[in-house]
Amino acid sequence: MKASKLYTPLVFLALLAVPIAMLIGEKQSISMDEKRKLAEWPSFSWEDWTSGAYGAAIDDYFDDHLPVREVVMHWADGVKYAWGVHPVVAERKVVVKPAKREPLDTSKAGSDSARMNYLNDFDESYSGEMLIIDGAVYTQNSGNPAMSPSFAKMLNEYAEKLKGHTRVFSCVAPLSSAFIPVEKYGHLRQRNKSTLEAIRDNLQGPIFCDVMGEMLLKQNQKLFFGTDHHWTARGAYCGYVSFCKAAGFAPVKLEQMTRKVKTGFLGSLYSLTRDATVREHADTFEYFKPRIEASAVRFSESSLDRPMKSAVFCESFRGSACYMTFICGDAPLIKITTGVKNGRKAAVVKNSMGNAFSVYLISHYEEIWVFDYRYSKHVMLDIIYDREIDDLIFALGMYGAMSNGTIHMMRKLGEGGVGMRPRRTESDSIQSDSLIPAPSQIPAAPNDSVIPLVPDVIDKIENDSNGE
Amino acid sequence: MVFSSLAFIYGFLPLCVLLYYATKVMAIRNLTLLLFSYLFYAWGEPFWVLLLAFSSVFDYANGLLIAKFRGTWKAKGFLIGSIVVNFGMLAAFKYGGFLYDNIAYFIKLPFARPEVDLPIGISFYTFQTVSYTLDVYRNEVKAQKNFVAFMMFVSMFPQLVAGPIVRYNAVEDQLLKRDFNWDRIWSGVNRFAFGLFKKVFIANATGALVGKYLDTQLMDLTSPDAWIGITLFSIQLYFDFSGYSDMAIGLARMFGFELEENFRHPYAAISVADFYRRWHISLGRFFRDYVYIPLGGNRRMQDRNIFVVWALTGLWHGASWNFVMWGLYFGVFMLIEKYSMPVLNKTPRFIKHIYTLILIVFSRSIFYYVDFGQLQEFWRHLFYGRAALSEGMVLDLYNHCFLLALAVLLCIPWDEIFPSAEQRLQPAYKWLSLPAVIAMMLVSTVLLVGDTYNPFIYFRF
Repeated sequence: MKASKLYTPLVFLALLAVPIAMLIGEKQSISMDEKRKLAEWPSFSWEDWTSGAYGAAIDDYFDDHLPVREVVMHWADGVKYAWGVHPVVAERKVVVKPAKREPLDTSKAGSDSARMNYLNDFDESYSGEMLIIDGAVYTQNSGNPAMSPSFAKMLNEYAEKLKGHTRVFSCVAPLSSAFIPVEKYGHLRQRNKSTLEAIRDNLQGPIFCDVMGEMLLKQNQKLFFGTDHHWTARGAYCGYVSFCKAAGFAPVKLEQMTRKVKTGFLGSLYSLTRDATVREHADTFEYFKPRIEASAVRFSESSLDRPMKSAVFCESFRGSACYMTFICGDAPLIKITTGVKNGRKAAVVKNSMGNAFSVYLISHYEEIWVFDYRYSKHVMLDIIYDREIDDLIFALGMYGAMSNGTIHMMRKLGEGGVGMRPRRTESDSIQSDSLIPAPSQIPAAPNDSVIPLVPDVIDKIENDSNGE
Repeated sequence: MVFSSLAFIYGFLPLCVLLYYATKVMAIRNLTLLLFSYLFYAWGEPFWVLLLAFSSVFDYANGLLIAKFRGTWKAKGFLIGSIVVNFGMLAAFKYGGFLYDNIAYFIKLPFARPEVDLPIGISFYTFQTVSYTLDVYRNEVKAQKNFVAFMMFVSMFPQLVAGPIVRYNAVEDQLLKRDFNWDRIWSGVNRFAFGLFKKVFIANATGALVGKYLDTQLMDLTSPDAWIGITLFSIQLYFDFSGYSDMAIGLARMFGFELEENFRHPYAAISVADFYRRWHISLGRFFRDYVYIPLGGNRRMQDRNIFVVWALTGLWHGASWNFVMWGLYFGVFMLIEKYSMPVLNKTPRFIKHIYTLILIVFSRSIFYYVDFGQLQEFWRHLFYGRAALSEGMVLDLYNHCFLLALAVLLCIPWDEIFPSAEQRLQPAYKWLSLPAVIAMMLVSTVLLVGDTYNPFIYFRF
């Protein structure tokens, strides 16, 4: 038998097997590795066809749904690594390409998308050149002192409105560029410092948390992840200690908490760089659980009517999603209720950096309301007055304090927020085929009862949350 | 649609092959190929399918009419009609804006600049149809009466959007009669896989580096960076375009066609003239047969003919003065080589090779920068820039050294150096071809997944 007679059908059968496997295989809607929504099979319209959008959408679908795609992407990293030799270089720069296609839809409270959205704010401001030093990625963004007065002014306005009712705290975290272990980048540290000092110097009423000062005391520890743009639990602990000092609380020591560890964390910076040396230096995800009972619910972007069950720690998240362990990722509004019966209540305004910070607060407050200024449309001041909130804490990564857009979002949050995306109608939500049902699809529960989010996720949450 | 997309490799192609070979009736096979070709084209440019169809139908009719009225003034009229309409379309879509800009530079025009997207592949298929009517007029080929077969000749997806420019006489016999041959199909699969590998593994990877050096702020560019950048672009261009041609030839073989080679190790050339006997051969032949020789070739006013051909070759590549300049650049060196032949003949082969490579690599800068201001700035850095190595360049070369070494190895004409090797390796090929195809397809797929950088450079022509 001719070899070609055997080989040719074999190859074409193998090619045909791929779309068949795509058809019958399990469908994914989200790429955990890339932190983005995968393309959906397009619905046909004449308009899309004539514009070429339909064909392009099918191309995208094939790209996104190849069987074992995420494994194949790791192979791609290996192939690229094999292109050359890799001398041990302590320091180099990589250019990050713009994010591919549709980012996660952050408008649906409680969806997987919303939980994984922490890349988005970062992604927009940090694409470009990054430093890789000893396998850890650092952005070169280092703050902007010129924006600090605007940020401080916004805080001052809140302090003025809440005078005599609620204390306002500024707990802005520096960026990882402040802790690059190479002397020649000292100017980036200085710029981080200048940005925070400029905030402090312009505050009139709010209380300043010296987060960076506290972090500098512990800079021998790992305060930022090497593969992700967030701070570690230890970095967030510095933020917490600085807050306690500012608020007059005694911080709970780390030794008094339960330490847990997950390995193999490859976060947002790895997703962006997909660098083999970074992958070799995957982070160990360490976190500390205060030994306090606490439960959490999350709300949709503007309503308190339909709370969805959540948790303070979602321990089942692994791999690239480790950071979502803290308060189960972002949501427009999360309410944490603790076993600390001291009557104290706090509100936290945060971006994703505040997630790791918020969990430490359960040792000090009976009730904590966590607002994500990017997605929330709740009238924060109403909640602060209604719930008799004692402390309003702005706990965020510095990139949130560096643009007029984010400052505007925080300012508007007091009276209803703007959100990053337009408000969706109920019908929009129903039509969406997100993995998790939109709030409107979940049957209403009587009174204040808690509505499960989605069975498989909530099972994980409940298993994880034992003892909290 | 592009060959190097997963939708093409794992959807369009196997489905097309399956349906094509589902019947033994040649008419149905041709119809299948025609429908898939229109689907292929319409995938990204549905509207311009009409233009393709018009061009095909128009020249199908012209061919028949030229044959019918052969020897009369009517035949000449239909030929002129074909040339005017086809080149008129090309002028309108490809050169309309360019013409407007140049006229508007001198006089104020009463209408706005035409803003029309260039229909993909128009430069290729108009040349094919014009060559057909010319050949019918010259009585070098018979007019094709089978409508589907002619439509398929023009639109056949393997060569539709980026060549090679298939002359009608090269496939005339194959349009209505193609033997089923496992060996040919398998060799087509091999060739396609190799082309895909060249495109995805080498061209895309070097392309990502090219952007780092040539798209950067030119003021930061050092001289070594500029040279490395433009050398990498030369590598990218060759592997991109020759990879596409390999895929086209391979695909055509899968359907029983045998297309002519479009590249023959161009970077092994020892003169500019030699280079263009090896690079984009189908375009060179078109200009030779339909412009250079009719103008008089080397019998009458050869210098003028060379300049005309090269100016047109430049213009064919793009509606911009930089492409004209690029063409004339080669015209000048063709003449220099012509008049210094005695010296060149005595020059060692290695020196001639280096001289050719430097000229070719330098010419890529004219090709890359459409904007003259940028081009001048680039040249300034190329020749007078800082002699320092930039921070990342050495590291980039380290990180891609095996890839670049492979690219260099694939540029070497091993078949010319060891002419008998192919025959001696034939038994090994029988066993190695399957693992080689699997490896190349697998590596290409792996690199295509999640990668957004995947353009074919010659699509813009």
